[in-house]
Amino acid sequence: MRVIKQTPMNWIERLYIFECLRGLFTTLKHAARGLFRYETLPTISYPEGQPEIRSTYRAKHRLMLRPDGTPRCVACGMCAAACPAHCIFIEATQSDDPRIEKRVMRFDIDHLTCVFCGLCAEACPVDALRMDTKKIVFEHRTRDEFVAHLNDLIDWDPKDYPEDAQSQMAPGGTKNAEALKVWGMEVK
Amino acid sequence: MSNFYNMPKLPTESSPKVEIFVDDKAVMVPGDTNLLEALKAVGIETPHVCYHPYLPVSGNCRQCLVEQEGPRGRMLVISCYTPVTPGMKIYTPASSARVKNARKATQEFMLVNHPLDCPICDKAGECTLQENYMECGQNESRLRPEYGKNYHGNPAHQFVDAKGQVRGGKHVDIGPRILLDEERCVQCDRCVRFMRSIAGSEQLQLAGRADHTYITTFPGEKLDHEYDLCVTDVCPTGAMTAKYFRFQKRVWLLSHTPTVSMDDSLGANIWLDHADGRIYRVMPRCNPEVNRSWLSNTSRLAFQEFDKNRLPSMDIESYTFSEGKVALVAGGSCTMEDLAAMKLLKETLGDRAELFGGTLLKVNAPDGIAKSGDPCANRAGMKLMGFADVADLVKRASEFKTLVTVNADLFGEDPATAKPLEQINSIIALSAFDNATAKKATIALGVKHWSEVQGTMVNSLNMVQKLNACPVCPDGKLWAAYEILSDMAGKKFASAADAFKKATEYVPAFAGLSYDTIKSTGKLLEGGNA
Repeated sequence: MRVIKQTPMNWIERLYIFECLRGLFTTLKHAARGLFRYETLPTISYPEGQPEIRSTYRAKHRLMLRPDGTPRCVACGMCAAACPAHCIFIEATQSDDPRIEKRVMRFDIDHLTCVFCGLCAEACPVDALRMDTKKIVFEHRTRDEFVAHLNDLIDWDPKDYPEDAQSQMAPGGTKNAEALKVWGMEVK
Repeated sequence: MSNFYNMPKLPTESSPKVEIFVDDKAVMVPGDTNLLEALKAVGIETPHVCYHPYLPVSGNCRQCLVEQEGPRGRMLVISCYTPVTPGMKIYTPASSARVKNARKATQEFMLVNHPLDCPICDKAGECTLQENYMECGQNESRLRPEYGKNYHGNPAHQFVDAKGQVRGGKHVDIGPRILLDEERCVQCDRCVRFMRSIAGSEQLQLAGRADHTYITTFPGEKLDHEYDLCVTDVCPTGAMTAKYFRFQKRVWLLSHTPTVSMDDSLGANIWLDHADGRIYRVMPRCNPEVNRSWLSNTSRLAFQEFDKNRLPSMDIESYTFSEGKVALVAGGSCTMEDLAAMKLLKETLGDRAELFGGTLLKVNAPDGIAKSGDPCANRAGMKLMGFADVADLVKRASEFKTLVTVNADLFGEDPATAKPLEQINSIIALSAFDNATAKKATIALGVKHWSEVQGTMVNSLNMVQKLNACPVCPDGKLWAAYEILSDMAGKKFASAADAFKKATEYVPAFAGLSYDTIKSTGKLLEGGNA
């Protein structure tokens, strides 16, 4: 704990009028800075300027992809079970790939209901669901458009995630060819 | 493995009570049963995998170990195959660290090559291995990814996955209704014992030895039996999965309605597992006297048609019956409430109405498992209510001017036999489905299906069993048959309990019964042999 000792005001301060003028000067100084040196202001002129968002910020969801471009999601329903807002709707079906049993057929996230708690991404046992898209603005015409479907959730570009190794294994990523070689291993 | 095992003796209400010592405390347990059931009777659950109360004991999983005081000291014994003897001294994990460790080690071995499939496994949520792991396992994994979890089963189904692990047999098609996952199998041989001892058709076998054991059918054969879906119930893991339910729904999202299957006069006890307003699967509900824990494929898969081809509801202002005799025909799936309402309607119409019940379908022989072979489910109830057989009606068809069928698809069941009924000029069909009779009828009224009504039925063993309404009715405006019929009679029953009260007036054997006094496993009726 830090104790700040209040020094008693001297007589100039106690006169009030000089302090008042000093405060006015501060206001004028910032007003002038806004007019002449706008770039140095700490505020953002949203929406022209966008805030910088970290990848750990819980933004819009995305579904991670296998090297062959199919979603990593196995439709286990853990995210839907963990979701406190009940905004995830999943339907599963049989996969055509002999190595994979279950694949997701429908994966809807209702972003009107979503509370962006991140429990779904945490619950995912196969690292298929992430919330690192940095998209925090949702603007749509109708309510239905706020529901993100499977096609929407897998539509992302590995170039936007240069740091992330898992994202680079998706088609278009730098590690895709390498990962595909392992993934495309002979199946007996 | 030997081909012969003993069926476990289950405790009954008349079992003699003997005193045994569990953890040095004296308890009274049923004396004519095995230790596992005896401990269960006093509230001590023993984890087990291979033991099933209605299958012969095989004792291969070693999960149900307890310690018993013997002449050579305290020894580990399997509780499923140890008969209860008076004065025996038993130690459970509550007092014995050795039992606890032994069970934990068994659990660890069981999971050595069991894949971590739970997210995609249909059994997850009702899996014996999961339950046992939570109860007696909870081990730290000692496996390393390079050499852990290797598949040693059928060499024909092996493959190496992207991580370099040996895997195999993920979806082996062993029959028209069942898929086998050989990785998940723990070789408890419950399915083998079920097919051998209960189904009586030994279609499954364990092949190979020790770690390489796997479940298989005979070469070129498939698992195909009227009761083959029961192996998915007895399977403690997700190895045997039903194709119809595969990946349909996670089991913890299902709600369960206990009811009775109304397509057979044994009235197999079932759970209707539903979610989002539709039935996802039908599971047998254990009733030791009726179907134990078995259910035929016909009864189990019938639900797929319950919401198809339904008749819509209809608004009716008033009812008038034209002159001439009226025949009221009850179909097999009519509950006692429907029958009571029909009898009420008959009383209103007077002597010109006559009651018939039954089916034109062939009555088969009982199969001794979960079917009596009689497709008319409530035949015993009709007998108690004094309904004549529908064959009489066919003979005397020319006498009648009006035919009212209630859940009775006479023209669909046997068009040739039902031919004389076509001369009746006014046919009113109360039916859930738009079937042949509804199509022939002058007026077809939609009613609720038996899965959507509350009611009672009397099965071929003369037991009253309760049906519960599953909230899956496709049309909220639909009425149950007893509601429409009692409305026709002018005294509409307010509820199913009301209708049952009326039924107790008509049937002397029902005296003193109410919905509260009928247990979920039914109530045997005194007298009135049906």
